[in-house]
Amino acid sequence: MTSPIKPPKGNWWDQPVNRRESIWLGLGVGWALVLFGWMSAFTRIGDQNPIGETYRVTEDELREKVDAFKDAAEEREDGAYVPDGDDVFVVGQRFDWDGLPVVLETGREYDFHLSSYDVQHGFSIRPEHALSQQINLHVMPGEEWVVPMEFDEPGTYHVLCNEFCGEGHRGMHGTIIVEEGSQ
Amino acid sequence: MTHALDVFGWFDNEYDDDGFRTCSVTGFDVHRTVENHVKLFGVTAVVFLLIGGLFATTVATTRWELIGLLEPGDYYKHLSMHAWSMLLFWIVFMEVAILYVGGPMVLGRKLPLPSLAKVGYVVMIAGVLTIYYAIWTASGNPVADNAPLLTAYVPLEVNPLFYAGAIVYIVGIVVAALPFFLTIWYEKRENGGTLPLVTFGAFVTGIIAVEALVGGLVAFAGALAYNFGLAEWFDAGVYRQWFWIIGHGTQQINLVAMIVVWYLFTHVLAGAEVVSEKVSRTAFILYLFFINLGAAHHLMVDPGLSVGWRVWNTSYAFYGATFASLVHAFTIPAGLEAGRRKRGKGGGLFGWLTSAPWKNPMFSTSIFAIILFGFLGGITGVMMGQLQLNMSWHNTFATVGHFHSTVVLGTTVTFMGVVYFVIRTMFMREFVSSKLASFQPYLYCSAMAVTALMMMYLGILYGIPRRTAEVVRNIPRTDFSLIEAAPLFNVFGVFALLAITGGALFVLLAVGSLLFGDRIEPGGNGDLVADGGLEMATDPEDPVHAYEMRGTFVLCLFFLGVFVVAYALNWFLLTQLWSIGA
Ligand code: HEM
Ligand SMILES: [Cu+2]
Repeated sequence: MTSPIKPPKGNWWDQPVNRRESIWLGLGVGWALVLFGWMSAFTRIGDQNPIGETYRVTEDELREKVDAFKDAAEEREDGAYVPDGDDVFVVGQRFDWDGLPVVLETGREYDFHLSSYDVQHGFSIRPEHALSQQINLHVMPGEEWVVPMEFDEPGTYHVLCNEFCGEGHRGMHGTIIVEEGSQ
Repeated sequence: MTHALDVFGWFDNEYDDDGFRTCSVTGFDVHRTVENHVKLFGVTAVVFLLIGGLFATTVATTRWELIGLLEPGDYYKHLSMHAWSMLLFWIVFMEVAILYVGGPMVLGRKLPLPSLAKVGYVVMIAGVLTIYYAIWTASGNPVADNAPLLTAYVPLEVNPLFYAGAIVYIVGIVVAALPFFLTIWYEKRENGGTLPLVTFGAFVTGIIAVEALVGGLVAFAGALAYNFGLAEWFDAGVYRQWFWIIGHGTQQINLVAMIVVWYLFTHVLAGAEVVSEKVSRTAFILYLFFINLGAAHHLMVDPGLSVGWRVWNTSYAFYGATFASLVHAFTIPAGLEAGRRKRGKGGGLFGWLTSAPWKNPMFSTSIFAIILFGFLGGITGVMMGQLQLNMSWHNTFATVGHFHSTVVLGTTVTFMGVVYFVIRTMFMREFVSSKLASFQPYLYCSAMAVTALMMMYLGILYGIPRRTAEVVRNIPRTDFSLIEAAPLFNVFGVFALLAITGGALFVLLAVGSLLFGDRIEPGGNGDLVADGGLEMATDPEDPVHAYEMRGTFVLCLFFLGVFVVAYALNWFLLTQLWSIGA
C-alpha cells in the first residue's frame, strides 16, 4: 500500500528504502552538518559577525551618553564629529541618526553603540564606492548594542534606515566618513 | 437540490441519502458538509487574493520609481493592505479549506460540528474587517497612528483596533480548525490504525498552526496591553520574539500544507506513490519538533540575544527542519518517478516528467511550486537564516525576494492549483477557457520568478531597503541616492506587472468558471484521472520502492550543487567586507 490517501497496511515501518533514497538522506545529513559547522565555527574564526554586548538603557541615559560623546568629539567645519576615543554613537530617531555624521580612520577598531530613542529602526550601511558591500543591523529602543567595526577602505559610508518607523522614514539618512588612518 | 439562496447553483451536487457522493477523480467519499465548507472558504480566499493583487499593483508601481505611483503616506497603507490580504487572508482561508480536505474528505467522514466552521468563518471575517478598517483609516501621523505593515512592531504607534482585529481573526481560525481536530479524534477512536499520509501531514500542519496561533495571541494581546500602558515590559524585544512565533510559524504552516497538497496532487493527477511511508512521516515529525525554532530567523541581527541562542534556533537545532525539507525534496519527485514508471509512463531518465500532464494546471502548479520554492525560496531561506549572512539580507529588498519565492512561488501557486481543483471536482464546472487555464501557471510562475530574482539582486547587490516608498532616485535632504539600481528596477517593474497580469488571469478564470463554466455531470472528470488510475497504488505485490528513481536522484544532485554554489558565493561576498563584530 503506497497511496498517500489510504491508511498504509501491514508493517510499513519495515518496508525497505530505495538505495538512491538512502544515499540522498546521507547527503542531506552531511550538508546539514556543514551548514551548522561553518556557521558556528565562523563565530569564532570569522571577521564578520553580528555579535556584541547589549546593555539596557533608558532614553534619558542614552541622550546623556550621546551628548557626552558629541561634546568630547571635535566638530569639523562640515558638521562631522571626530570622536575623542574609540566609541561611536549612532542612535536612530524619527527621522535621522543622532551622532552622525562622524569621521573615522581606517585600521582602527571602533565600538559602535547602536540604539534608538523611539521606535525600531534598521541600521543599513554601505560605502558609496561599492553599494554591494552593505550590511544591516537591527536597532531597538531600550537596548544599547555595542558592535565593534574596523574599516579598511576609506570612503563615504551611507547609513539608511530599513525598518519602517513612520511616514518620513525614507529620509532617514546619515554618513560616516572614513579617512586613511595614520598607522 | 438547490437552496433558495444558492442563486449560482454552487452548492447543488447530488448526494445519497446519507449526504455522501463519490468523487470520480480521487475516489473520496465526499460528504456535503465537508464539500460545502471547502467551497465557502475557498471562494472567500480568492476574494482576498483579488484585493491583495490590486494592492500588489500599487505597491509594485510605487517601488518602480520610474512610475512612482503613490505618495509615501499612502504607500505604507497600501503595503499593509497587500501584506495582510495576501499572507494572512488569502492563504489562511485556503488553509482552513485544505484542512477540511486533508481530514474529513480524505477519510470519507462528515464534518463534525459544521456550525463551528460557520462560527469560525464569521469571526474570521469580523477580524478581517476590523484589520482593514484600522489600516485604511490610519492617519499616518508618525507619533500617533501609523500604518501597521505586516508586523506592527511595538512601540510603533498603531491603532489598538488593529491588534484587537488580529486577536479576533486568530480566535476565528482556531474555531474553524476545531472540526478538523474533532475529525482526527473520531477517526482514531472509531477506526484506530494509521492515518493516511496526507491526513497525517494535515494533522501536523494543524498542530504547528495551533502553536503559531497561540504565539500570535500572546503577541497581539501583549501589544494591546502595551498600547494601553498596562504592560511596559512587553517591549520591542519581547514583542519581536512573540510576533515571529506567529509571523514565521504561519509560514511553516504554509510549507507543511503545501507539501501535503504536493503529495496529494502528484498522486491523484499523475499517479505518484509514496516511496517510503517511514521516511516521509519521519520528515513530518521533524517539522513538528524543530520547525518552530525558525522564528529566530528574524532575530539574527537583533541586539540582546546570545550567540548560542541564535545559532541553535536559526539552525532548527542542527538543521533538523532543513533536513526534513531535503527529504521531501526527494520523496515527492521520487514518488512521481517511481509511480509513473510503474504505470509504464517513464522511459529514459526523465520520461516520467516529460510524459506528465503538463497541460493540467492543477498538476503544473504543484510541480512549478516544488521547483521554484526549492531553488529560489528554500536555498535563499537557509542562507539568510545563517547568523552572519543575515547581515547582508536583513530588511533589504532581497528579503522581499526571498519570501515572494516562498509564499508566492510556493504557497500561492500551489493553492491556485487547489482552487482549480475545487472548481473542477467540487463545484463541478469546466473552465471558461481550458487553454488559458493551462497557460496561466506558466505566465504567473515565470514572471514572478524573474520578479523575485530581481528583488534579490536589488537587495544584495545595491542594498535597496525594503518598506521604503522612495530611495532609488531621491532621498530627502541628501545628494546620495541609489540611482545605480534604476536599470534593474526597470526589469523588476516590467516583470512584476506581467506577474500581476498572470494573477489577474487566475482570478478571472476562477470567477468566470464559477459563474459561466459549463456544468460537469457526475463522473465527467475522466480527463483528470491519473494514467493507469489510482488502484495500482494499493497492490501489495508491486511495491513502488523497487522502481528506479535515478531521474530524481540526478535532479536532487543538481539542486544540491546549486545550493552549494549559492552558499559559497554569499559567503564570499560577506567576507569581502570590513570587520564587524566581537
Ligand atoms: C504579482 C504579485 C506580487 C507582487 C508584484 C508583489 C510585490 C510586492 C512588493 C514590491 C513588496 C515590497 C514592498 C516593500 O518592501 O517596500 C511586497 C511586499 C509583500 N508582499 Fe507581495 N507581491 C505580490 C504577491 C504577493 C503574494 C501572493 C503574497 C503572499 C501570499 C505577498 C506577500 C507580501 C508580503 C507579506 C509583503 C511584506 C509587507 C511588509 O513589509 O510588511 N505578495 N510585495
Ligand atoms: Cu527609521
